[in-house]
Amino acid sequence: MPESRIIDGREMVPPEPLEKTLEALDSLAPGEELTVLLHCEPHPLYSILNKNGYRYSARFLADGTNEIRISKR
Amino acid sequence: MQPILSFEQAPPISVPYRFFLTAPLFGVIAGLLLAWYGAEAMSSRWSPAALALTHLLAVDVMLQVMCGALLQFVAVVAGANIWRPHLVASVVHPMITAGAVFLAAAFVLGLPILFLLAGAVFALGIGFFLTVMMLALWRTPARGMTVHVLRLAVFGLLVTLLLGITLAGILGLQTSALPLLLLINVHVAWGLGGWALMLVIGVSYLVVPMFQLTPAYPEWLTRALPFGLLLVLCLWSLQLFSPADEAQAWQVQVAEAGMLLAGLYAIVTLILQYQRRRRQTDVTLILWRVAMLSLLAFSASWLLFEASPQFGSHARAPLWLGVLVFPGAFLSVIIGMLYKIVPFLNWLHLQRLGEPATMPNMKQMMPEGAVRWQMRLHISALALLLMAVLWPAWALPAGLAFAASCLLLEWNLLGAVWLYCRVRDRAVKDRAVKDQIRAVGQDHET
Repeated sequence: MPESRIIDGREMVPPEPLEKTLEALDSLAPGEELTVLLHCEPHPLYSILNKNGYRYSARFLADGTNEIRISKR
Repeated sequence: MQPILSFEQAPPISVPYRFFLTAPLFGVIAGLLLAWYGAEAMSSRWSPAALALTHLLAVDVMLQVMCGALLQFVAVVAGANIWRPHLVASVVHPMITAGAVFLAAAFVLGLPILFLLAGAVFALGIGFFLTVMMLALWRTPARGMTVHVLRLAVFGLLVTLLLGITLAGILGLQTSALPLLLLINVHVAWGLGGWALMLVIGVSYLVVPMFQLTPAYPEWLTRALPFGLLLVLCLWSLQLFSPADEAQAWQVQVAEAGMLLAGLYAIVTLILQYQRRRRQTDVTLILWRVAMLSLLAFSASWLLFEASPQFGSHARAPLWLGVLVFPGAFLSVIIGMLYKIVPFLNWLHLQRLGEPATMPNMKQMMPEGAVRWQMRLHISALALLLMAVLWPAWALPAGLAFAASCLLLEWNLLGAVWLYCRVRDRAVKDRAVKDQIRAVGQDHET
């Protein structure tokens, strides 16, 4: 199982979740996973991840939370 | 469904900033003008000073910020391609500024030629802006109520402009061929309801849940509000074809329905804000609340004035409504949104320049203390302006307080722009040094 860090952005005001996620990506080690919890579809974040060599999967949970798992490609 | 934000489409930062930095300066001029004219400006809505002040606020402050914000918002929220935004801003910004100065001067000096000049400049400047905006909103593939409501708001501005140009023509040519009062009734309704309120409604569907962490607006309301408002405005406009010189009884009832819609929107927004998930209260939230309470007070006062002619027929009753709606409702929303938009744009554009970790975060873009002081000053100025309607001698302190509030707003915005320029220049310099080191390294290898 890869190590995992969590950013709960559900109670944060934009762009704080994006700020915190970008900060965390700077120190994300190979094999490590970053989980971001949001109430929305963060298309700007997806675009940044695609352009910078990260893989991610996103799924909506029953309570409306979007759980995004990010790791290095 | 969540809206898609497309930051790739964002225009250059100088496009919205030129509008944002100009607007408060005209707020200062409006405040000083009120202080200079004093009680005379508060005698009636038809006093030259009151008419000049209204148009300085509506055009050089409100329209200025709304145009700048719309150029940014439409590109980011609707993913719409704005045709050459830099060129559009370079043409529209000076024309709006000059047009409003001509118009205010025309009222104060009573010079008919200035009305014609203002009408011509607005026709070109705002007409150009509307053409670009309509093309962008027409072609965008984005769907959703916010985009539909933005289209309606742009249509509202078009009707306001056409009626405004007609009025400027009547005053400039000194003709009585058209019913002046009816045209003013309809011009004011479209400017306030069809353009300004429609725009605030459309923007709020997105920004209130996003920035204030509230539940979404009920779906039925997101449809009922804009289309109900449009219906009210169309029916209200029928008075232009009436043989009488004033609105008919049924049209007054239509206007009452419009006021109920505005009041309903304010109440729902306040309830949503009460239900927000994060209990923290920031300046933007407070200013939105002030705005919604002012809008509610505006609607309630209008209905009270209709029900009680002893209040409604008073010469200063329209001034009471004007203070509640211009500085109270719209300017409060505008200031609150500027405090979100400007730090966000700084952050967004700086992110693209360098290492995100070395860039200031959102909270560092504007000093919280100065922002809170400006908010307090704005609310105090609003209270003094309302007092000045009741006791016109208060116009002097009210005008000075309003000017001071706008001056501090300008100072806060300039501080954020200065910070942006400083960090941008540093990032560009760092990048140049890194490129130079890399080039020297490659030379050594070869």
